[in-house]
Amino acid sequence: MNQKSSPPGPDRQMLRRAIFLALIFGVLCFALLLARLYVLQIVEHERYESLAIRQQLREVPTSTARGTIYDRNGSVLALSASVDNVYLSPAEIALYDEDTDLIAAELGRILDLDPNEIKKKAAQAGSWYVTVARKIEREKADEIRVFKDCFDLRGVRLEADTKRYYPYSALACHVIGFVGTDNYGLEGIEARYNDALNGTAGRTVRATNAFGSDLLYACFEDFEPGESGLDLVTTLDSTIQFFVEKHLKQAVADYDIQNGAGAIVMDVNTGAILAMASLDGYDLNHFLDVSSEAKAVIEKADSEEEAARLLTEAQSRQWRNKALSDTYEPGSTFKIITLSMALEEGVVGLQDSFFCGGSVNVIGRTTPIRCWKSGGHGSQSLTQAVQHSCNAAFVAIGQRVGAETFYRYCEAFGFLNKTGNPDENLSAVTGIDLAGESGSIWWSENTFCSPRNQSQLAAASFGQTFTITPLQLITAVSACVNGGRLMQPYIVSALRDPDGKIEYERKPTFVRQVISEETSATVRSILEQVVGDPLDGTGRNAAVAGYRIGGKTGTSEKVSLEARTGEKEYIVSFIGYAPADEPQIALLVFLDTPSNESGIYISGGQMAAPVVGAMLADILPYIGVEAQRSPGAGEHKDVLMPALEGLTYEKAKQKLKEAGLRCRRIGEEDLVTAQLPTPGIVLAADTEVIVYLGTEPSNNWETIPDLSGMSYEEARDTLSYYGLYIRTNSPVLADGSQRIGSQSAAPGSLRPHGDVVQVTLISGDDSLLGKY
Amino acid sequence: MRYESARLSGFSAPAVRTARGRLDMNYLLLVLLLLVIGVVLVLSSSYARAYYDPGGVTGGNSAYYFVRQLLFASLGVALMLLTARIPMEIFLRYALPFLIFVLILLAMVPLIGVKANGSRRWLGVGGLTVQPSELAKLAVILSFSALIVRFRGRMRSFRFGILPFLLVLGAIVGLLVLEPHFSASIIILAVGASMLFLGGVPMGWFVAAFGTAGAALAVMLTFFPYASSRINTWRDPFSSSTDEGYQIVQSLYTIGSGGLSGLGLGGSRQKFLYLPEEHNDFIFSILCEELGFIGSALVLLLFALLILRGYWIALHCRDRFSFLVCAGITTLLAIQVFFNVAVVTNLIPCTGISLPFFSYGGTALLIQLGEMGIVLSASRDILEER
Repeated sequence: MNQKSSPPGPDRQMLRRAIFLALIFGVLCFALLLARLYVLQIVEHERYESLAIRQQLREVPTSTARGTIYDRNGSVLALSASVDNVYLSPAEIALYDEDTDLIAAELGRILDLDPNEIKKKAAQAGSWYVTVARKIEREKADEIRVFKDCFDLRGVRLEADTKRYYPYSALACHVIGFVGTDNYGLEGIEARYNDALNGTAGRTVRATNAFGSDLLYACFEDFEPGESGLDLVTTLDSTIQFFVEKHLKQAVADYDIQNGAGAIVMDVNTGAILAMASLDGYDLNHFLDVSSEAKAVIEKADSEEEAARLLTEAQSRQWRNKALSDTYEPGSTFKIITLSMALEEGVVGLQDSFFCGGSVNVIGRTTPIRCWKSGGHGSQSLTQAVQHSCNAAFVAIGQRVGAETFYRYCEAFGFLNKTGNPDENLSAVTGIDLAGESGSIWWSENTFCSPRNQSQLAAASFGQTFTITPLQLITAVSACVNGGRLMQPYIVSALRDPDGKIEYERKPTFVRQVISEETSATVRSILEQVVGDPLDGTGRNAAVAGYRIGGKTGTSEKVSLEARTGEKEYIVSFIGYAPADEPQIALLVFLDTPSNESGIYISGGQMAAPVVGAMLADILPYIGVEAQRSPGAGEHKDVLMPALEGLTYEKAKQKLKEAGLRCRRIGEEDLVTAQLPTPGIVLAADTEVIVYLGTEPSNNWETIPDLSGMSYEEARDTLSYYGLYIRTNSPVLADGSQRIGSQSAAPGSLRPHGDVVQVTLISGDDSLLGKY
Repeated sequence: MRYESARLSGFSAPAVRTARGRLDMNYLLLVLLLLVIGVVLVLSSSYARAYYDPGGVTGGNSAYYFVRQLLFASLGVALMLLTARIPMEIFLRYALPFLIFVLILLAMVPLIGVKANGSRRWLGVGGLTVQPSELAKLAVILSFSALIVRFRGRMRSFRFGILPFLLVLGAIVGLLVLEPHFSASIIILAVGASMLFLGGVPMGWFVAAFGTAGAALAVMLTFFPYASSRINTWRDPFSSSTDEGYQIVQSLYTIGSGGLSGLGLGGSRQKFLYLPEEHNDFIFSILCEELGFIGSALVLLLFALLILRGYWIALHCRDRFSFLVCAGITTLLAIQVFFNVAVVTNLIPCTGISLPFFSYGGTALLIQLGEMGIVLSASRDILEER
């Protein structure tokens, strides 16, 4: 062993220290690490795993298509279509270095947006989801898809969504309602049946990368299928709804209605709502847009907050369903209810007579209650009292019924619900399946039935001092004329799954028998006289030639408003039903605050009744009720224009004579080459029509003259002077006393040569002018 | 008497050393096994990152990192086997020149180094980048071993046992702080201390050193808000899970997700851009997620075996230099493994330390395998037990 040339090995201290290091680094450190890993991976595994999964999973709701809403004939009122939302993933735009200028320019062009805005959005590099446009139509989405594929852009994304379309725009807008951007129903049927329409959204849970994009390969994906939404079949009839809205709009224009108007058409036997309108309406496809008048007001606002407030106000006003959400004092239309209970109780009979001296004193009132006719109606039968809408007679009828009984009947008719607390003001709703129904407001039982103050009972007898909704009134009146059965109104008749299988079918809901079949028959016969009697009937302007119609007028004073401000404002209304002997439909029209400037006397009989008549004239033939030509109060004088082309002049003249028309010839040839008006048009009898022999009718547009106040014959001749024709659904009285109440084409508007103007006739007899 | 002759011929007469013993196969196999697992995990962990970077270096090629790592691993194995053929006296002879070379490189880094993430730690060499700090670790081990051998018997004195070593460490750490590269500084200080510990420096010095270090740390935490915010992040990473604590929180999610048996090789979800540095410093987290506690414990066991085998080789070396080099390299490996896993499991505050044989990085891998080659070379001088 040569110690000098051999390098020394490690000494004992070194070896000891090396073993020490080996124990520290080879054993102790690893034991520490293993313990730590055990804690993280085994002990706290579930906690960390759930935290990790929470960030890795994205839940994407898979939208199930919202159900379609149909009217009773299968016409589509609302449907959902697939659309796309466009969004950017700026993180990925940055990641893949995609051209933001190109993206901004192209998306801006396709979507008609400001490219600079899009560029700003694309620059939010930290974000992976920035919405560019919502609910864009198929064509635009396809265009974006092509653009995206063309440049292989991963930062431009589309996601499926659905959009609600309303094919009829504003028709029945308040009933149908609309959905918000999240496809959640906000008004009307859409709100009330939101859950059924939406179904349950399915969801896809997917593992994604930190940008929210899909993983390269699906590590985890779970799909929960939703339940698709149900289709709704409503009781609405879009044709009837159209007739109703058409005439209601006409009335609002004719009478310069200040505060909107409403109408309800109900199947009297089932309670099904066939139409429900509230004006002003709005386009469901653009439910946020307000009318141009409202816009003009908003533009004049001083500040932005004020403008925003005005906009919100205008929107909620236009969305309000007056037929359902507004309560009013029904006025004389309520006399039907008073009459029904009195007949049912047997306290009045057809042979009873009532005296009206113009006013009547009531216990608890300092001033007497006045009848609308200042001189009084004198002595009158029960039928006449209804025909005249005599307040004095109805105060007496109410007194005969008695407050307690009156109150009981009001509950039976669904106007109030007793609570057991006689001092509580009472309320009730019909329970219709629509969102937004308001409840009635009634005096408490103790106040109403107080023997020391009978003014509540007296005023209630002719429909004042309490408020109800128009829907409550038509529901109760339907019970009065349908044989006494109170039916709950409803709007949805069936729910169907997408395969057409009926999931739920609504049967008409019978609430209770309020009056007897016989009483109801008596009520019908009396109410028919209100419309059918051309001399005494305050509702005579609602008459339609060939049809038996019953009804009642109403002119309600806004008493509380007058008490507050001293202004006199009225709601004029008319409730009618037809056919009078075997009612099928009931129809209520109310016009809120006609202006004094319209030139027509403000009353339900002068204003609302003709509207109901015009509506019924359209609706009754449509629902298959045939007109009966009967000699009677009014003669229907409209005829059908025959086809004359190709006939000789002699033959044409003969044919026209048979139809009840006169003729004028233009041109000298042998055969008829054209005619005015065109075949199939209904126009007034004895009108002079034009046959063209070798010449063509003029293509001129004619200015419509103002016909108001004219008699039917005067109006006919005035129009034919311009080459225009006239027709009416109102019965035309032989004495020529009627005057034109409204016309289908506004004075001053332009119509093609040969067009037909439809008019309503109102009674020219001044004896029945009054607030009844 | 082959053993005796080889031992007698020693380093002074290399010509006589014609035959050396066999490589330590246990050590070699452990290295290769860890390397294979590491390269496979580079593929698994970097796949998503590489794919989602079409505009970056990978060009969207998801195998980009894997292919490069595989290439360097192959080169590294060749280098390791080559190094294993180099006699230990060569390392002894060139230990100090190598140290000077490394010091020059370190001095160049702040001047011409490649900057990344706010630090200048790399030198570009024809398309490749080298971290001189990696070489510095080896240089410290080799030069300290050489000096300890030379100063044998005088290591208890301050002049020989402390001063020269402190100067070397001071120079290296001073240059590293300029980059700045704190984690490398800490590792080098730890390795240097271990070398001195092995070299026979009295325990009193270590007590004093630890005391000073503790005091310095306390001062730093008091006066440098950056340092104390690190400590706060370490103590409660979830309070800042979206900024400072993001990385460590994501790492904990990743490790915890693994559970007992993991999501399966390639099944990591956190590698989809949630966990930063998933194929570098945090590759062990992905391993935990994919292979579970079973896999991570197994890999740690392999490392532990490799390290214990390294100490075993050191203890069996017949000459002091080989002993010191093997023990030093093994300690370096152990420190790196411990620090890396301790960081990703939030056992110690966050800092960037790569995991040997696993973390992506070509030149670092080459150097590590070269170090393994040195240990293997030393192992050949060990007399096989009969």
